[in-house]
Amino acid sequence: MNHIKLPNYLTRRQAIQLLGMSSIGYLLSSCSSELTTKVGEISEPLNQSFGELLIKKQLLIPEFSKSAIDPKALLINSYEGTPEIDPDKYRLTVDGEVKFPIELKLAALKQIPPASIVMQHVCVEGWAAIVQWGGVRLRDLAKMVQPQDSVKYVLFESADKYTESWDLASAIHPQTLLAYQMNGEPLPDDNGAPLRLATPIKLGYKLSKWVTKVTFTSQIPKGGKGYWEEQGYEWFGGI
Amino acid sequence: MPETTSGLQIYNATPVFGGKDGWTFPKWATLGGWLAGGRNWHFAAMWVYAFTLLIYGIYIFLTQRWKRKFFSGQDLKALQVGQNSKRRTYSWHRLIYTGIIPVLILAIFSGLAMYKPAQLHWLAGLFINWDILRIVHFLTVPISLLFVLVHIIMGIRAGGLRLTRSMFQP
Repeated sequence: MNHIKLPNYLTRRQAIQLLGMSSIGYLLSSCSSELTTKVGEISEPLNQSFGELLIKKQLLIPEFSKSAIDPKALLINSYEGTPEIDPDKYRLTVDGEVKFPIELKLAALKQIPPASIVMQHVCVEGWAAIVQWGGVRLRDLAKMVQPQDSVKYVLFESADKYTESWDLASAIHPQTLLAYQMNGEPLPDDNGAPLRLATPIKLGYKLSKWVTKVTFTSQIPKGGKGYWEEQGYEWFGGI
Repeated sequence: MPETTSGLQIYNATPVFGGKDGWTFPKWATLGGWLAGGRNWHFAAMWVYAFTLLIYGIYIFLTQRWKRKFFSGQDLKALQVGQNSKRRTYSWHRLIYTGIIPVLILAIFSGLAMYKPAQLHWLAGLFINWDILRIVHFLTVPISLLFVLVHIIMGIRAGGLRLTRSMFQP
């Protein structure tokens, strides 16, 4: 069987082939979390610039028709269940680098001219649902408290200790609401009653439920990007 | 490759077929470790994929390849009435080779529509609804894999292993 001769050295082509195969194998087998984090760190600034570019003009997102609403499609997600909130004792605090910080009761919130939107709620998990939300435009609250020029971000705190942080532009988008009503009914507890974020321009994990505090700020505190963002989800989350 | 395996990671978070109760791909076929990691890979690889496709587009345009290398009326005639079996085989190859290009472009556009469904609502709207959009985006992968398989088999049938090997030799 001498007619089969194996080369005892690698040709350049073989070396390249082996390199290709081994790198695919590496990608498949390793799932190395450091490498994954690195890939995120490298690509996130680019993806964020793309997202910011898209919302720059603050275009209104076309609404869906009411007949497209599918209540069953909206799944309930939370990280620690539904907190108990007494609506009579509930207060929304709006503070931070603002001229006039305020605390509002639910009744006061409901006196602000309401807005309604029928939009697609898109979850990072890949499902989506068309929902109607009614409530206060966040930009109307911003007008009341008057953020200083230094403000670049908005932080949200919830009754279940869930936290979020947003870019200012998305927060004051005309279709970004603090909603107290869903699909024509008062907002159910599991969906974030008495008050939750709703907007067509962010993924579901950015839309805090049970919001108790809104803070306008020039800096996101260390560890305060948000519950999921601190674990590796992308911060901007624009859609 | 990272684009597909990270895509399967994302698929598993809510299976396209069957929703939350649907069948999921085994862990070894997925990239990124968990959903956020899979998305890191997917939205990094998307730029590489998109720019490769763009450069290919510019290349076939500048070299005028699009005039000569893709399926044409003459190929159609060869397939319908042609008697030369080699010419017919060649036309089949060109048909398959041309057909995969819209699928590759569809992968990008259906992906973009899902990535920014609100800002690119005009694009997402072309796919009617979210479920159809997800199915279309997913199907571009098995179609591309099928293309590779059919392409290899056709290559072997046309010119044997010698032809296939010659493609990888300088």
